[in-house]
Amino acid sequence: MSLLQIEPTNWIYAMWSLQPVVILAVTALLVLGIDSLSPDSRSNRLLAGTATAGTLVALGVTVWYLAAGTGAAGSGGPISLFSDAIVVDGMGLFFIAIFTSVAALVVVASVDYLEDDDNPAAFYSLLLFATTAMSLMAVSNSLATVFISLEMASLPSYALVAYLKTNRGSVEAGLKYFLIGAVSAAVFAFGISLVYAATGSLLLPEVAAAIGDVTDLAGILGVGILMVAGGFLFKTASVPFHFWAPEAYEGAPAPVSAFLSSASKAAGFAVAFRVFAVAFTPALDVAINWGLLFGILAVVTMILGNFAAATQTNVKRMLAYSSIGHAGYALIGLAAITAGASAANATVMGAAMAHLFVYGFMNTGAFLFIAMVEYWGVGRTFEDYAGLGRKAPMASIAMAVFMFSLAGLPVFGGFFSKYFLFLGAINAGFWWLAAVGAVTSALSLYYYSRVVKALWFEEPNGNLDALDSKPTGLYAAVIAAGVITILLLPGFGPVIETAEAAAAAIFA
Amino acid sequence: MVTAFDYVPAIVLLPFVSFVVALFLGKYLPKKGAYGGIAATAGSLLLSIWVLLAVRSGSAHQETYWTWAEGVGAQPFTLEFGALIDPLSALMLVIVTLIATLVHVFSLGYMNDEGERDLPRYYAGLGLFTASMLGFVIADNLLMAFMFFELVGLCSFLLIGFHFRQEGPPSAAKKAFLVTRFGDYFFLVGVVAVFATFGTAAFSGAESFPALAESAINGTTEGINTFGFEPTTWFTIVGLLVLGGVIGKSAQFPLHTWLPDAMEGPTPVSALIHAATMVAAGVYLVARMYGFYVLTPTTMGIIALVGGFTALFAATMGIVKEELKQVLAYSTISQYGYMMLALGSGGYVAAVFHLTTHAFFKALLFLGAGSVIIAMHHNENMWDMGGLKNKMPVTYWTFLAGSLALAGIFPFAGFWSKDEILYEALIHAGSEPLLFAGYAMGLLAVPVTAFYTFRMVFLTFHGNARSEIARNPEPVRWNVKGPLSVLGVLAAVTGVINMVPVQKVLGLEGIDYLHRWLDNEWGGIEGLSSHHYAEIGPYSSTYPFGTEVATVLAGAAISLALALVGLGLAWKLYNVAEPVEHTAKLGGAKELLYNNYYQDEFQVWLANRTRGVSGNADTFDQGVVDGVVNGVSSVSLVSGDRIKRIQTGVVGNYALLLTLSLTALLVAFAILGGWF
Repeated sequence: MSLLQIEPTNWIYAMWSLQPVVILAVTALLVLGIDSLSPDSRSNRLLAGTATAGTLVALGVTVWYLAAGTGAAGSGGPISLFSDAIVVDGMGLFFIAIFTSVAALVVVASVDYLEDDDNPAAFYSLLLFATTAMSLMAVSNSLATVFISLEMASLPSYALVAYLKTNRGSVEAGLKYFLIGAVSAAVFAFGISLVYAATGSLLLPEVAAAIGDVTDLAGILGVGILMVAGGFLFKTASVPFHFWAPEAYEGAPAPVSAFLSSASKAAGFAVAFRVFAVAFTPALDVAINWGLLFGILAVVTMILGNFAAATQTNVKRMLAYSSIGHAGYALIGLAAITAGASAANATVMGAAMAHLFVYGFMNTGAFLFIAMVEYWGVGRTFEDYAGLGRKAPMASIAMAVFMFSLAGLPVFGGFFSKYFLFLGAINAGFWWLAAVGAVTSALSLYYYSRVVKALWFEEPNGNLDALDSKPTGLYAAVIAAGVITILLLPGFGPVIETAEAAAAAIFA
Repeated sequence: MVTAFDYVPAIVLLPFVSFVVALFLGKYLPKKGAYGGIAATAGSLLLSIWVLLAVRSGSAHQETYWTWAEGVGAQPFTLEFGALIDPLSALMLVIVTLIATLVHVFSLGYMNDEGERDLPRYYAGLGLFTASMLGFVIADNLLMAFMFFELVGLCSFLLIGFHFRQEGPPSAAKKAFLVTRFGDYFFLVGVVAVFATFGTAAFSGAESFPALAESAINGTTEGINTFGFEPTTWFTIVGLLVLGGVIGKSAQFPLHTWLPDAMEGPTPVSALIHAATMVAAGVYLVARMYGFYVLTPTTMGIIALVGGFTALFAATMGIVKEELKQVLAYSTISQYGYMMLALGSGGYVAAVFHLTTHAFFKALLFLGAGSVIIAMHHNENMWDMGGLKNKMPVTYWTFLAGSLALAGIFPFAGFWSKDEILYEALIHAGSEPLLFAGYAMGLLAVPVTAFYTFRMVFLTFHGNARSEIARNPEPVRWNVKGPLSVLGVLAAVTGVINMVPVQKVLGLEGIDYLHRWLDNEWGGIEGLSSHHYAEIGPYSSTYPFGTEVATVLAGAAISLALALVGLGLAWKLYNVAEPVEHTAKLGGAKELLYNNYYQDEFQVWLANRTRGVSGNADTFDQGVVDGVVNGVSSVSLVSGDRIKRIQTGVVGNYALLLTLSLTALLVAFAILGGWF
C-alpha cells in the first residue's frame, strides 16, 4: 500500500495524532513568517515568545496525550499512520515530552544570549525545526523515516553549532560535526540498505518478521545491523562515534550545547530503542548478538567519558565528556536486552528512558549555567568559577543541584534514575554493567564536586567585578531546571511508571 | 466518634513541633522557645491524661499508622510505625509528659534567669527529646521502639554536651553516647534476631512475638525459626541480646559508668533525661515485652541479679561523693537496680510502681539540687554549703520529702514501692533460691541509701553555713518553687496508688489500684496483663514467715528498720553545727569508693587491650582500603589524561579512528557470529 492510497479523512486523524509534531513545525514556520514580514525590526523577544509558546503548547499536548493514554495498550494500542511509516505510542510521546521540555528551556535561555544578534529568527527556527525532526524520530516506524528524520535533525544542528559565524571555535566545531556526521550518515545508510537486502522491508515490524527466514543472509544482516547501530552511536555521542562531541559542545554557543547534549542525545536513544527493540530483537539469536555489542560500547563509553572528564580544566569541556559518560549509562538500556525476557527488557529500557528524562533537565540546566557564565564573560576554567557562589547565589545553588544530581547523590532526581537503571541491569543478569556504572558514578563525583567546590569554597580571584547584569531569561531557565531536578526526587514515581509502561508496550 | 486515641499521634507531635519552632524561630521568640515548649508539653500532658481516662473507662488501643517497608517473597516482614495504648503505656505517657512540663517550667528559672546563651538549641533539644521519648513509649513493635530508643540517646548526647565550649561536657557526652551505643549494638542484633525468629516484632496480639514465643514453649513451633536451638535456649539468647540495650540505657552494671559523667549536662536535663524518663526507657522496655522475658527463667535470674547487685554497688559509691549531683547520679543507678530486681523477681507491678514513684521523687531531688545550685552560684560541693534550710524553705521542705521517699521512710512514696519490690523478691525466692541473693543485696542497699541520702540533706541544709555564698544564697523565683512544690506533694502521696501491705494487713479490698490497673481490670489488651505474666512466669509464692500477713509485716518492718538505722547514723555523724569528714573511718575502702571501684580505669584498660586489634584494622584501612581507593583515583587521572590525548583536534584522525573502530567491531562480531 502506497502513501497516496490513504483516505482523505485519515489526514485529519493523522494530523490530530501527530499534533505535537505539527505544532512544532507550524511554530517554526511562524517564526520565519514573523521575520519575513518585518525583517528590519528588532523582534528578538517576540520571536522567543512565539517559540516558547509553541514548545510549551506542544509539551502540554504531549503530556495530555500521555495522561489520556493515547497510543497505549489500554486505549486502542499504538496509532499507525502513513502505511505504518509512523507510529504514535507511549514511548514516542514520552520522548517528545523530553525534547519539548529541553527546547522550551533552551529557547527561554537564548533570549539574553541573542539580545545583540542580527538575525535571531534563524536561531529559533533552526532550533524548532531540529525539535520537530527529533519528535519525528521518536515516532518513526520505518528505517526510511528513521533516516530522513535523523538527517533532518542533524542538518539544523550543524548550523546551530556554527551559529557564531565570526567565532573560529564555533565555525570549526560546526565543520567537524558536519564531517563526522557525513561519515556516520554514510555508514548508517549503507547499514539500512544491507538490512533491506536481507529482509526485504524497511518497516520495523516487517523486518522483525522476516529475520527468521534470512538463513544464509545472516552475515549480511549482521553487518547491516552493526552499521545501523553506528548511525545511532553518532547521534548519541557514544564511543567510537563520539569524537565530534567534545569539540562541538565546547565550540557551540552554550544553549546549543545544552540542546544537543540533552535533546539530540535523547532523540538518538529514542530511535535506537525503537529500532532495536521492535526490529532487531529476533536477530539476537540469528545474526549478531547486538546486546553484547552495546554492552561493550556502554562499558567503554562510561569509562572513557568519565575518565576524560576527570582531567579537564575547562568546565564546558568537562560537561561534554560527562555527557558522553551519560550516553554510556543510557546504553545499558539496550545492552541488558536478551531474547525472550520481555519483562526484564521492558524494566531496564524503561529505566534508561526515565534516566534520559531526568538527564534532560539536569544536563540542560548545567549547560545553561555555563551559558550564563559565558554571558558574564567570566572565563571557562574551574579557577575562573571560584567564588561565583557569593556573586550569584541562586544560580550557583541550582548548579550544585545539577552537579550532585548528575553524580547520582541520593538527594536529587538523578539518584533514582541511576538506581533504577542499575537495579534493572542487575535483575536482567547484567551485574557487570551495573558495577561499571556504579564505579564510574563514584569517579564522576570527583569532577562534579570540583565545580561545587570552586563555586562555593574558593576565594574569587578578582575576575567577578564586572558581574552586574542579570540575564532574566537565563536565570528563569536555570532555576526552572533546578526546581524540576529537585521535584523529580519525590515525583520520580509517575516518570518511571510511564516509561516502563511505554517500554513494556514495545516489547509486548 | 472522636476518641482520645485519635489524638495519640498529637501527643508525640506537639513536642516535635516545639522542637522545630525552637530550632528555627527560637531566637526571635520571647524566652527563646521556652513558652512554646511549655505549651506543647502541657498540651501533651492534657492529651495523655485524656488517654489515661479513656483506658480507665475500659478501652485500649492498637493502631498501625504507617507501613514504611513491606517484604516480598519468602520473608514477608512488614516494618511499621504504630501505637499501642494499654494501661502501662498510658501511665508512662502521663509520667513523661508531667515531668517534661515541670522541667520546662523549671528551665525558665535555671536557664533563662541565669542568662545562659544558645537557649533555642536547649529548648529544641528538650522538645526533640520529649517527642522521641513519647514515641518510644507508644511504640507497638520492637523496631520502632529501637529507633526511638536511639533518638533519645542522640538527644541525651546533644543535651549533656550543651555547654560544648567547656572541656568536661563534650567529653561526658561522648562517653554517654559510646557506652550506651555499646549496649545498643546487642539490642540491634536482638531486633534482627526477633525478626528472623518470629517474622514480626509486634508487642501485642495473637501474632506478636511474645505470644508466638509462648506457644513455641508449649510445643507449637510452626512458623518459628530457632536456628537449631531448643526454643528456651534460643529465647534466652535473644532476650539477653535485647537486654544489652536495657543495661546500657538504664545504667546497670557494668555499663553504668556514663551516668555520673552525664551530670555535666544542665541540671533540668539531668532531672528529665537522666533520672525520670530516658534512663527508665530500659526498664520500660523490659516491662513492655515482659511476656517474652518471663518465659525464660535464666534471663529472669540474670535480670534480678544484675539489678540487685547494681542497687547495692551503686549505693556504696554514693556515700563518699562530695558533689550534690554525683550523689544523686549514683542513687539513680541504684534505684534502677531495684526496678530490675523487681522485674527479674516476677514483680512486674512492683517495678512499674517504683518506676512511677522514682520518677517523681528523683526528678524532685534533681530540681531541688538545681535550685541549690542556682543559690550557690553553680558551686556543687556539699562541703561549701550548710545552713541553707532557713534561707530557702520551699527547696528544703520539698527536698526533704524527696529524700524521705528515696530513703524509703514510711509513709512516703518510696517506702511503698521499694517495700513491694523486696517483698516480691522474698516470696518468690522459695521457688528460685538465686533470688535470695538479689533480695539480700537489695536489703543491704536500704541502710546505705538512707545514709547517703541524709548525709546529703544534712550537709546541704543543716548546720552552719560553711562559705560566704552559703551565707547569702541567691533567691529563686516561682518558676523554680512551683515545679518543686508539685513534685514534693507527689513524692509524699504517690504511695496511695498501691497500698498493698495495708490491704493485706487490714483486709481492705480494692486499694491496690496499680495492681488492678495493670491487670486490665478497667481496660487493656489481651495477653498484656500482670495476671497473664504471673501465670506463664517461672515463680510461685512461699511465705518464709508463716502466713502472708506475717511476711508482709516482717518484710516492711525489716526494711524500715534498716532505713532508720542508716538515717540515724547520718544524723549522728552529720547533723551537727560543724560537720567534718568521716570517710577516713572507712579505711582501705575509702580509696576504692572514691575511685568508683576503679570501673572507669578498668574500662580504659580494657579499651587499651583492644588497641592491638583496632590497630590492625586501622592498618588495613589505611594501607589496603585507602591504598586501593587512592590507586584507583591516580590510575583514573593518568588514564584520563591518555584518553584526552586521543582527542587531537584533527578531524581526519577522528574519521580514521572511527573507521578503524567500526572495522574492528565488524571483524570481531563476524568471527563471533560465524558470518564467514
